[in-house]
Amino acid sequence: MIDLLRSEWRKVTTIKLGWGMLLGALALAALGVIAQIASNGARGNIALPLSDPATQRSITASAGSAYLFSVVVGIILITTEYRHFTSRPTFLIEPRRGRVIVAKLVVAAVVGIIYGLACSALTAAIMAPWFAALHVTIGWISNGVLLSMVGDLTVIAIFAVVGVGVGVLVRNQIAAVIGVLVYLFVLEPLVSIIPVIKNAYPYLPGAAGAAITGASRGNLTHLDAVQGGLVLLGWGLFFAVCGWVLTIRRDIL
Amino acid sequence: MNSEAPRIEGRIVAAGLTKVFGQIKAVDDLSFSVEPGSVTGFLGPNGAGKTTTLRMILGLAAPTSGTGTISGVTYAHLPAPGRMVGAVLEATSFHPGRSARNHLRVFCAAAGLPDRRADEVLELVGLTQAARYAVHGFSLGMRQRLGLATALLGNPRVLLLDEPANGLDPEGIAWLRGLLRHFADVDGRTVLISSHVLSEVEQTVDRVVIIARGRLIYEGRLADLEGASAGVVVRTPNPDQLSAAVASLNVKITPRADGSLAVVGATPEAVGRAAWQAHVELHELRAGSSTLEETFLRLTAEPSNPPGPSA
Repeated sequence: MIDLLRSEWRKVTTIKLGWGMLLGALALAALGVIAQIASNGARGNIALPLSDPATQRSITASAGSAYLFSVVVGIILITTEYRHFTSRPTFLIEPRRGRVIVAKLVVAAVVGIIYGLACSALTAAIMAPWFAALHVTIGWISNGVLLSMVGDLTVIAIFAVVGVGVGVLVRNQIAAVIGVLVYLFVLEPLVSIIPVIKNAYPYLPGAAGAAITGASRGNLTHLDAVQGGLVLLGWGLFFAVCGWVLTIRRDIL
Repeated sequence: MNSEAPRIEGRIVAAGLTKVFGQIKAVDDLSFSVEPGSVTGFLGPNGAGKTTTLRMILGLAAPTSGTGTISGVTYAHLPAPGRMVGAVLEATSFHPGRSARNHLRVFCAAAGLPDRRADEVLELVGLTQAARYAVHGFSLGMRQRLGLATALLGNPRVLLLDEPANGLDPEGIAWLRGLLRHFADVDGRTVLISSHVLSEVEQTVDRVVIIARGRLIYEGRLADLEGASAGVVVRTPNPDQLSAAVASLNVKITPRADGSLAVVGATPEAVGRAAWQAHVELHELRAGSSTLEETFLRLTAEPSNPPGPSA
C-alpha cells in the first residue's frame, strides 16, 4: 500500500497541472482576502468591521475556495489515467484495483489538505500584518479563526475525494470537470430556488461545504458547521464507494 | 486442448476466450498457448481482436466467457504481476507532460522497485539522452522504446507487446528483434508480440497465432504455415458454378488479384475432380505457391465482404 501511495503521489507531483492548481487556489484565496479587507468600511459595504469575529472568520473562509481546485485535482487524478491510458500500466502492476483507488483517494485527500494548508497560511500571512497595521486584533482562538481554517481544510480534502469519485463515474476528463463546475455554480443554486426541492438544498455537497466554511450563500438556512461536516463526509464516502465499486467492476480502457 | 495443459511457469494459455461488446463478438471462443523460450507472433488484421485478447489475458477486461492464464493462474492471482509480466498495449500509455524518467519512476514506486531501475531500463532501450524530456516531444519510435522500458521495469519472465515494431525505423526493428530473440533464446522468457503485418515480425518469431474476426485461424510454427495453406489456384469463367461444385469439400475460396481463385483446404486433384464431375469449365488448375504474406492475407481475409471498419 505504501508503494501505491508513493506512486500516486509521484503522479500528482510530476505533472504541471498539480502545481498549477495549487497556484490557482492560492491566487483565488489571496484575492478573496485582499478584496474583503480592502473593501471593509468602504461606502456601501454592509460587512461588519474588521474587529468583528464574523468578519474575521469570513475573511479566513477565502482559503476555503480552494475546494474548487481540489475537486478538480481529484477528477484529474483518475481521468488523466484513462485519457492517456496510464491506467493500463497502473492496473497491470497492481491488478487489485480496489487498492489503487484507495491509494488515489488517500493521495487526493492529502493533496487537498496541502492545498488547504497553503491557502490558510497565505491567508494568515496577508491578514496578520495588515490587521496589525490597522491596529485590529485577530482573535485566532477567541474569534474562532483557527477553527474556521480547520473547517476549510476539511472541506477542501473531502472535495478532493469527491473529485476522485466523480472522475471514476465520468471518465471523460473535460466532461467531468465542466460537469462539476456547472453543478456547483448553476445546478445547486437552482435547487435552492425551486420551491418543492429547495428543502433538500442544505444537504447538497456545495451547501454542506458552505455550512462549514461559512461562505456566503445568500440568506438560506444552512446547517451548522458540524452538521454540514457530517453531510459532506457522507457525500465523500458515497463518491469514494462509487469509485471503488465501478473501478473493480468495469473493464480498464 | 489447453485447459488440461500442465501449469508451466511462464506459459500463456487462452482457453475459450470470448468477449462480447453489445452485439459484436470481438473475440470468439479463442484458444491458444504461448510457450516459454519462444517468440510468438500474435497476428491478425486491425480489428481482429488482438488487443482485446491481450487485455483479457492481462486482467484489464473481463472475458464474457473463457479464461486467460499466465503460469497457470489468472493475471489477478499472480503473486507479483509487476515482476512476472511486462506488457505494452499500444505505445500511448504516457502522460504527455511527464518526463520519461518520471514516468518510469511512477511505476517503479508502484512495483516496489528501486528508482535506479528506471535509469537501467532507459539505458537498455537507448533513451538515456531523452530521460528528462517530457514525452509529448517523443517520436512514435521513442514512445515504443519507452513503452518497452516500462514493460521491462520488473525484469519480467513474460512479455506481451502489442504492435511493438510500429513506428520503429529499420534499425530499430533490427534492434528489437535482437533483444526479443535474446530474451527468448538466452533467458528462456516468454515473448508474445502482436502485429497486423506478418512481414514485420516474420524474421523474429518462431511460432504464430493468427486470428481474424476474433477467431483462431492458425496456431503453430511459422515454418509449417506456408506449405499447409498454399492452396489451389483455379481459373474458370464460371466461378459461381465452381463454388457450388467444391462446396462439399469444405474449402475456402477467395478471388485473387489476377482474376483467378484461390481454393484453400483441398488438393488440386480433389478440386479438379469436383469441377469435372460438375462439368465446370477450367482454364487453369495448379498448386498455389504464394508468399507468406499472401498466405496471411488470404487466411485472414473477410469471407465475402471487403475488410470492415477496424476497431
